Amino acid sequence: MAFFQVNFFSPTLRFGTDVNVVIPTPNADELMNHKDTSYFHTGAKYQVLYLLHGSYGDYSDWMRLTSIEKYAQNHKIAVVMPSASNSFYQDMYRGSQYLTYLTEELPEFIESLFPVSRKRENTFVAGLSMGGYGAWRLALQKPEQYACAASLSGAVDFLGTVEATKHGEISGPFKWEALFENPDAIEGSDADLFALAAKRKAEGRPLPKLFQCVGTEDFTYNINQNARKQMTELGLDLTYAEHPGIHDWDYWDAHIQDVLNWLPLAESTVAE
Amino acid sequence: MAHIQCNFFSQALQKNANVIIYLPTQDADDYLFGTGNAKYGRSRVYKTLYLLHGSYGDYMDWTRLANADRYAQEHDIAVVMPSAENSKYLNMYLGENYMDYIGKELPEFLGTIFPLSDKRENTYIAGLSMGGYGAMRIGLEFPERFGAICSLSGGLDMDMLNTGDTTEAHVAKFDKNYMKAISPNEKMAGTRDDLLYLLKAQLDAGKPIPKLFMACGTEDFIFPSNEKFYAEASKLVPIDYTRAPGVHDWKFWDCHLQEALDWLAKL
Repeated sequence: MAFFQVNFFSPTLRFGTDVNVVIPTPNADELMNHKDTSYFHTGAKYQVLYLLHGSYGDYSDWMRLTSIEKYAQNHKIAVVMPSASNSFYQDMYRGSQYLTYLTEELPEFIESLFPVSRKRENTFVAGLSMGGYGAWRLALQKPEQYACAASLSGAVDFLGTVEATKHGEISGPFKWEALFENPDAIEGSDADLFALAAKRKAEGRPLPKLFQCVGTEDFTYNINQNARKQMTELGLDLTYAEHPGIHDWDYWDAHIQDVLNWLPLAESTVAE
Repeated sequence: MAHIQCNFFSQALQKNANVIIYLPTQDADDYLFGTGNAKYGRSRVYKTLYLLHGSYGDYMDWTRLANADRYAQEHDIAVVMPSAENSKYLNMYLGENYMDYIGKELPEFLGTIFPLSDKRENTYIAGLSMGGYGAMRIGLEFPERFGAICSLSGGLDMDMLNTGDTTEAHVAKFDKNYMKAISPNEKMAGTRDDLLYLLKAQLDAGKPIPKLFMACGTEDFIFPSNEKFYAEASKLVPIDYTRAPGVHDWKFWDCHLQEALDWLAKL
């Protein structure tokens, strides 16, 4: 049970940035309960979950507001929690290149310095709200890198989300003119997850397995229904779940555990 | 320029421990000037310096009070900064096993997590004051692990400090009850906690002795203890020793950490 707070200079973002990393290692619970700790040894690699925050959030949210470290320890999976400001996980037109940072620089940094697997089948991404969009976006952007992507209460119908914020139905800190050269031309671009999924399918590239859950009282419930319909029609492998709940940390703390149960986890370290 | 604060369950200490790990990666200067692209990568392993705090300190001291990150970046070396309370870096008689923690568990644990070289010639230990003693104590106890030891203003003759023979011994004096938690012995002389005794014992046992560096301020209250240790130890093994103007403070340690890193780079 090792918790790492990492601060480093990102040449992609062009500033210093923070990342929280959890690596399961033999802990007090395992010692007291005489559990097998042979998973921790030289040369062992961990399956890894990149876990993304929502709008208004940062790298510290998942650690502070859920028990993700305990769940990661139980499942023997490494968790990497970066910051992406309110970028909606885009390479901002007027701003920083968060998508490139998260899909290129950060995996290389983490895989070089921490004992995490480099294999697609062991690499997953999940997130909440804006980070739910981010999870699907990263996986569809670089489908050769991520085997699975999970959205909790995600803004996975991106056009629907942008429209809803314009009409005040969903509030958010987003500056669409900073994110996009032309915020009125998102439909059909890579930022549009339905268009991106269709494009990847047409390219014949491997598609990530998708997980989607949402609270039935959540204000993103309707946009999640549209995303479910669209992705299912595109033929993606989508697991959907809904539960009583709203857009809050009680929901995410409960259902990140469903995500971990859904992922194809070794429940131990892996060879490579 | 990766500064990593780690909290983990230590089996040697039987409790959670904080440790800072500094790994050189491309920094803002490198970005500006187009250098440093190879500071990390798939086959890269780092030379590593274990850097110990003094009495009353903890794992944050070197980062907060000296420029350890920046010097490590310049010297392209990983630095590991643990905490050891006021234990003198020993396996305490009634307390935690700090010597095993830093000399055994930490290199094995961090070597499993991070790309740190496991070679003796790439692994060093240094510290200030109590940490100078700790570096010597641990480095000499595990000489197969550490290729070099640096002591800055080290408390190298603990008996001299504890019995108050030095001019300002009250500054270094530990609470008497705490001393009893560290060791059942009134004096360290004639035990492995006596650095001269330990050095002789390791020489007699045919162990490889790490390369040794010492620096101490000539106005430091701990200077006589350094002089005494050097006079005796340098008869047994070569020691590079810097006597420089200065007292027992961070100005001295910030300055002479750089000298120690320069010295390590030339090994």
